[in-house]
Amino acid sequence: MMRRPAPSTVRWVILAALLVFWELFPRTGIIPELFLPPLSKTIAVLVKDWREYASELSVTLYEVAFAMLIACGAGILAGALTGGIALLRNLLLPVFSSLYAVPIVILYPIFTAWFGIGSQSKIIFAGVYGFFPVMLTTAAGIRTIDAQLLLAARSMGASLPQQITRVIIPASIPTVLSGLRLGGALTIIGVVVSEMLTSAAGIGYLVTRYRTILDSPHVFGAIVMILLLSIAFDTLARAIERRTMVWQTAGRRQKEGERVDVAVKPATAVV
Amino acid sequence: MTANLSVVRDAPARAAIEVADLSHTYAGREGPVPALTDISMTVGAGRFVVIVGPSGCGKTSLLMMMAGLRHQTAGTIHIQGAPIDAPDPHRVGVVFQEASLFPWLSALDNIEFPLALRHAPREERRARANDMLNLVGLQGFGARYPHELSGGMKQRVSIARGLVQDPPVLLMDEPFAALDEQTRMTMGHELLRIWSQTAKTVVFVTHSLTEAVYLADEVLVMSARPGRIIDRIAVPLPRPRTYEMMATDVFGRLRERIWQQIRKEG
Ligand SMILES: Nc1ncnc2c1ncn2[C@@H]1O[C@H](COP(=O)(O)OP(=O)(O)O)[C@@H](O)[C@H]1O
Ligand SMILES: [Mg+2]
Repeated sequence: MMRRPAPSTVRWVILAALLVFWELFPRTGIIPELFLPPLSKTIAVLVKDWREYASELSVTLYEVAFAMLIACGAGILAGALTGGIALLRNLLLPVFSSLYAVPIVILYPIFTAWFGIGSQSKIIFAGVYGFFPVMLTTAAGIRTIDAQLLLAARSMGASLPQQITRVIIPASIPTVLSGLRLGGALTIIGVVVSEMLTSAAGIGYLVTRYRTILDSPHVFGAIVMILLLSIAFDTLARAIERRTMVWQTAGRRQKEGERVDVAVKPATAVV
Repeated sequence: MTANLSVVRDAPARAAIEVADLSHTYAGREGPVPALTDISMTVGAGRFVVIVGPSGCGKTSLLMMMAGLRHQTAGTIHIQGAPIDAPDPHRVGVVFQEASLFPWLSALDNIEFPLALRHAPREERRARANDMLNLVGLQGFGARYPHELSGGMKQRVSIARGLVQDPPVLLMDEPFAALDEQTRMTMGHELLRIWSQTAKTVVFVTHSLTEAVYLADEVLVMSARPGRIIDRIAVPLPRPRTYEMMATDVFGRLRERIWQQIRKEG
C-alpha cells in the first residue's frame, strides 16, 4: 500500500505544477503571451527593472505600514470599548456590522476628494478598510470571554485593572490576533486597489500603468510582487499567532485526538 | 493571667460562618425572582458542611454571597466574625464547578495567581505554590498547562489555588460534578485528606447524596426555589471516613433521609 503523502508535500507539488504550467502554456501558445507571459519572462523583467519595482514597493510598504497602524490601533481600541461596555455595544455594534458588509471601495473617490491622490488618501482608505474586521473580532473576543474566569479572578481579589490586564487581555489575544491577520490582509488589498484606481506611485500603480501600454510581463511582475507581499504578511502573522497561542492550538490538537497524554503509573495514578 | 487565658479558651469559639435572615431576590427579565428566603446557618470553625437541594434553589447564589461576589437583598453574613461585602481571599477561598483555571497559565502559575495579584515576592510565591502543589498530590505537574491535565487534576489545581492564601474558609460549588464517578470518589477522599491536614472550614455544594454523606459533618437540605433550609442532618460517622462506610446501615439511612426531603421538593 502506498502511504498517503503529507498535506504539505501535496501543497508544494500543486505549486510546482502551477509554475510549470505558467511557463509552458504561454510558450506552447495555448495561452497568448499578452494574456499570460511565461514565468521566465516575468522574472527576467523583475530582475532587469528591480530598481523601479523596489522603489514603488517601498511606497506601497510605507502606506501599508501606516494603514495597519490605523486599522490595528483604532480597531483594537474601538473593539475593546464596544465589546466591554454594554451601552456602546448595543448602540454601535449593529451599525459597524452592517458597515462591514458595505463595499467600501465605492467610497474611495470621496477619499481622494478629501485627501488628494497621494499616499494620504491610500493610508486612510486602507486603514478604514482594515479597521472593521479588527474592531469586530476584538469586540467578539472580549464579549465571549468565559465569565467564570472573571468570577474566579474576582474571588481571588483582582481589582478592575487587574481583571483587565491579567484576564481580559490574555483571554482575548487569540481572537484579536486572528482579527489582525484578516484586517492586515484587507489593508494590503486596500492600499493596492486604491493605487490601481488613482495614483502616481506604488506597486498597484505599476500594474495600471503597464496595463495601459499592454506590457504584460511588467504587469505580471508587479502582480508577483503583490502576491509575495501578501504571502509574507500572512506567514508572519501566522507565526506570531502560533507563538502566542500555545495553549489554544494545543487545546485544538487535543480535541482532534492527538492528546498529549499524561504519563502516570497506574499504581500512583493522580486523578 | 491564667484566669484570663482560661476564659479565652472556655469561651465558645466564634463560628467561622454566620448567616442570619438572609434573603435574595433577583431582578429577572420577567419581574423579580425570589431565589433565597430566610436562610440562617452557622458553621463552626473547622467543620465540613455540605449543602444539597434541587437545581435552581439558590445554592450557587448563597455561596457567591458568602464569597462576597454578590450582594444579598436582605440579611447578614459574617465570616470569621466580620461582615463580608467584597471578595476577601485572606478569609475565603472559592473552588468553582468548572475548573476555571486560566488556560494560558501553567498549573503552578495558576496557583500563584492570587499571590501575584498582591505582588508577593517571587521566591515566596514559588515556594508557597509548590507547597500547595504537593499538598494536592500534583508534584511534578507544575509546568503543565490546564489542557494537559485530566479533569480531576484540574480540580486539584483549583483546590490548591483556593488554599494558596491560606484562608480559614473554603467554599466549593459542585467542584466534582463534571468528573466521572470513580474520579469523583477519589477526589472526595483526597479532599478529606487535605481538609484534615489544613483544618479549614468547608462549605461544599453537591448533587450527589453519597458524596454529601461521605464528606459531611452536617448536611443542610434546601427547598426548591425560593430556597430555604428545610433540614439539618448531622452525620455521626467517625473520621477518617473510609469507602467501606458507604455499605453500612447508618450511611444508607442518612442517604435515604436526605433523599426523602429532596424528593418532596421535586
Ligand atoms: N443573575 C440572575 N438573574 C436572575 N435570576 C437568576 C440569576 N442568577 C440566578 N438566578 C436564578 O436564581 C435561582 C437560583 O440560582 P442558583 O443559585 O444558580 O441555583 P443552584 O446553584 O441551586 O442551582 C435560579 O432559579 C436562577 O434561575
Ligand atoms: Mg449551582
